[in-house]
Amino acid sequence: MPPHTERPYLGFGLGLRPAHYETILNESPAVDWFEIISENYLVPGGKPIHFLDRIRARYPLAMHGVSLSIGSHDPLDREYLRQLKALADRIEPAWLSDHLCWTGVGGVNAHDLLPLPYTEEAVRHVAARLGEVQDFLGRRMLIENVSSYVTYPESEMTEWEFLREVVERADCRILLDINNIYVSSFNHGFDPLAYLDAVPAGRVWQFHLAGHRNLDDYIIDTHDEPVIDPVWELYAQALRRFGRVSTMIERDDNIPPLADLLAELDRARRIAGLPARQSAAAAAPA
Amino acid sequence: MNPLRDLQTDFQSFLLRGDERMLARVTGSEKVSATRRLAIYYDAYRLRLIEALDSNYPVLHVWMGDEEFEKLGLAYLEAHPSSHFSIRYFGHRLAEYLAQAGDYRDRPWLGEMATLEWAMSEAFDAADDGAVSPDDLAAVPPQSWPEMRLTLHASVHRLDLHWNVTAIWNAIKQERTPEEPRREEWPQAWLVWRQDLKIYFRSLSVDEAWAIDAVRAHESFASVCEGLCEWIDAPNVALHAAGLMKQWITDGIVSKIVQS
Repeated sequence: MPPHTERPYLGFGLGLRPAHYETILNESPAVDWFEIISENYLVPGGKPIHFLDRIRARYPLAMHGVSLSIGSHDPLDREYLRQLKALADRIEPAWLSDHLCWTGVGGVNAHDLLPLPYTEEAVRHVAARLGEVQDFLGRRMLIENVSSYVTYPESEMTEWEFLREVVERADCRILLDINNIYVSSFNHGFDPLAYLDAVPAGRVWQFHLAGHRNLDDYIIDTHDEPVIDPVWELYAQALRRFGRVSTMIERDDNIPPLADLLAELDRARRIAGLPARQSAAAAAPA
Repeated sequence: MNPLRDLQTDFQSFLLRGDERMLARVTGSEKVSATRRLAIYYDAYRLRLIEALDSNYPVLHVWMGDEEFEKLGLAYLEAHPSSHFSIRYFGHRLAEYLAQAGDYRDRPWLGEMATLEWAMSEAFDAADDGAVSPDDLAAVPPQSWPEMRLTLHASVHRLDLHWNVTAIWNAIKQERTPEEPRREEWPQAWLVWRQDLKIYFRSLSVDEAWAIDAVRAHESFASVCEGLCEWIDAPNVALHAAGLMKQWITDGIVSKIVQS
């Protein structure tokens, strides 16, 4: 595995979604990079691969997986890892990420990011498996904090202590989802700033921003709405604490025209003290 | 005893079957009880997987209506939870389920619609095999024709459908009222494939369907001609077979010409 390097900086990115394929190729929008859902491209060919290759020729990409199930008690899915590695070897992403969660057990995939108990047993289990995955892929992973709705009585530490323990023992990096911190702080009643303060700054390589749905008593992490003001404020705090970190907006449902997401991305740029780019790009010749 | 495994087993039993053992294993709050918290996962699991079925079976969904499709999705999910790393393959047994499950097997047209839509989704992201051109066929010297074999594109699917589901599919796609399901006297052969990223299907005559099946079984041009004599007069059979091959090349379904 390559040695630790200085944190690379990709700038401001968006999730690559099929609804935007044509617009991206026709208009070369002012997005610094795209994040793909890895599983959507673990297919033999056709439209997904066609557009992936063309967009890769123009933009840096990061691979974001949802099926690693790093916390599951099931054995690691070797076929999944093999295909993941083959895709990474082909498109040379800036990095690969997945979630600090489990997605199923006993051979079932619930396709959800299920929370782990924050125990020493779980830390050991996840860190050992991350080591195996990183050895197999020949790369260090970024691991993302998830939104959660339940707490387990057996938890022995806070979520942020759990995250820190895992990444330090596995020697991996963090994809810090600002929205997920906000959602979980609301659902579990903790201070999001305490979370930010406890995260090992040098390991944070990427931020996620997203929208959610507030049902008064709790928040569901839906990724189908614009980012809300308190999450933008938390993002500003995160920038102050962690410095320049590659940022992307994650929209998975209720996908708006690309221009709406570019405007949201410009808001992230302004918060980071950078000029907006959308209007400049629109005025430039194709 | 393994606490992590036990917790995950209980959580998943709750997700899949609503097993109540899990309720005692999470902490509720004054505002939101443990039951409501777990229900978020229970509901999201079903919503997500039914949405995945919808993306593979959009026309079946419209045809059945939201309520019936959701009912089907829940029953299918219970019978066949996803076991693949990608949600894209969750629906791969829906046609089989519809053909066998008690609530559906008396409506065999539903299973055939699922067969048609699954073939289309398989064609959508099948391997990019490339396609040969009419010039490639013209370049084959006459003496090589008898032993020539064709490799068909990975997106090619051959279906035999008893019901008029392709007409119903077309009507629903065009937002017209579909005709009633009707069983044909004989099963109709269909070809589903991808060309230039678009998915196509067309009906096949009996002889063309047979010839495609023979080509997929790696039969040579000579033996395809021999088999086609069942329907075509011997003096015309070579010309007829060559015509079929030209059509397939135009359709973009021939990825390789193998000369021995």
